Amino acid sequence: MPESVVAITNLSRRFGAKAALNDVSLDVPRGSVFGLVGENGAGKSTLIKHILGLWRAETGAIRVFGVDPVADPVSVLSRVGYLSEQPDLPEWMTVIEFMRYMQAFYPKWDPLYAEELRRQFGLDRDKRIRVLSKGQRAKLGLLGAQAHRPDLLLLDEPSSGLDPIVRSDILAAVIRTVSEEGRTVFFSSHLLEEIERVSDHIAMLHQGKLVLCGPLDEIKAQYRRMTLRFETQQSTAPAVPGAVSVRGAGREWTIICNQAIKPIDGSHVIDDQAASLNDIFIGIAGGVHSLA
Amino acid sequence: MVLRLNPASGVPLYLQLIEQVKHAIETGAIETGEQLPSVRKMAEDLLINPNTVARAYRDLEQEGIIELKHGSGAFITDSVTARAKIMTKAQTIVQSALDRLALFDLTEEEIRRLVETELSSRRAAKSPRKKYA
Repeated sequence: MPESVVAITNLSRRFGAKAALNDVSLDVPRGSVFGLVGENGAGKSTLIKHILGLWRAETGAIRVFGVDPVADPVSVLSRVGYLSEQPDLPEWMTVIEFMRYMQAFYPKWDPLYAEELRRQFGLDRDKRIRVLSKGQRAKLGLLGAQAHRPDLLLLDEPSSGLDPIVRSDILAAVIRTVSEEGRTVFFSSHLLEEIERVSDHIAMLHQGKLVLCGPLDEIKAQYRRMTLRFETQQSTAPAVPGAVSVRGAGREWTIICNQAIKPIDGSHVIDDQAASLNDIFIGIAGGVHSLA
Repeated sequence: MVLRLNPASGVPLYLQLIEQVKHAIETGAIETGEQLPSVRKMAEDLLINPNTVARAYRDLEQEGIIELKHGSGAFITDSVTARAKIMTKAQTIVQSALDRLALFDLTEEEIRRLVETELSSRRAAKSPRKKYA
């Protein structure tokens, strides 16, 4: 079995003039929880649709479990559980009908596990999907994505617009999945707190480009957030070689950096701590913007 | 034992977990011979990656704070309780120092910085530069 569950090499995709994905390469190790972050329109969903084989790579290659998901969708999709931001559910079915319907698709569907999840999520078996709340729909979508115990659980903004209770149900499902030996989770979210909680690997997309990718601990150990106090007021952002971003006003400026920076004349460091994912995210996204 | 982690802080979650387990021992919330939840249970309760819990448990074991027994979980070791008593004493000293500092109306950040500065100057004093003394 290959060590990478998902292997993407030099993937690019254009929509008209817009480069939705620009030369993206990444590997999702088996057994990892891989968090994909990026602002709206950064290319997260586009990337996930390629992994699912819904779109063919224009340039570059995608392998899921070592095979091309476009060439061999059956072998890939039978081992994948997928939940999108707005799960497309058959509105006219009841919960129990939906469960039977899904069972027909997946030879490995586990009816006992499905029933356990249904109870845990508090879903009424005879209710029609049409009348379910947004949170209940998300839970049913999750049940559908999980009950065949997929080797890869793919979640595209699973908790977008949901209340904290449903969000924690979804996180618990992610944790249950990886607790089972060898299963892998790939999920995108703009809620950095969630990503930081459950991921061990992260990647960040910004305007279609991969700007950050690796084990979360390494990334967090690498980036620092330093606050400098200057002797005099600075009317413009001071130049700090090696900084990812520089923000502030007057005498106090906060920089995000991923390498040691040289002391700057006329200033001293008043605070120096590990950067949070949020600091890094805003630093990189903001930093690239200001250069544009 | 109530554990609360803050993913938004720059401190890695496994370190936060280690600190909190130690704190729970120091305050007597868990005692010698008691058992910590399994890795999986702890991960589901805290909603964090099971590998993070496993890593924290491994480090706690290396520090001699817990003992991992295969199949039956993580137990608090005896030697820790003695240490915990000392920490409880130390904590009352910290409390009274903070009570006195309260008169100066400092922010938490300022107090933290004062403590950090003091600690690092002591570290510097200890380092081998005695030639000039």
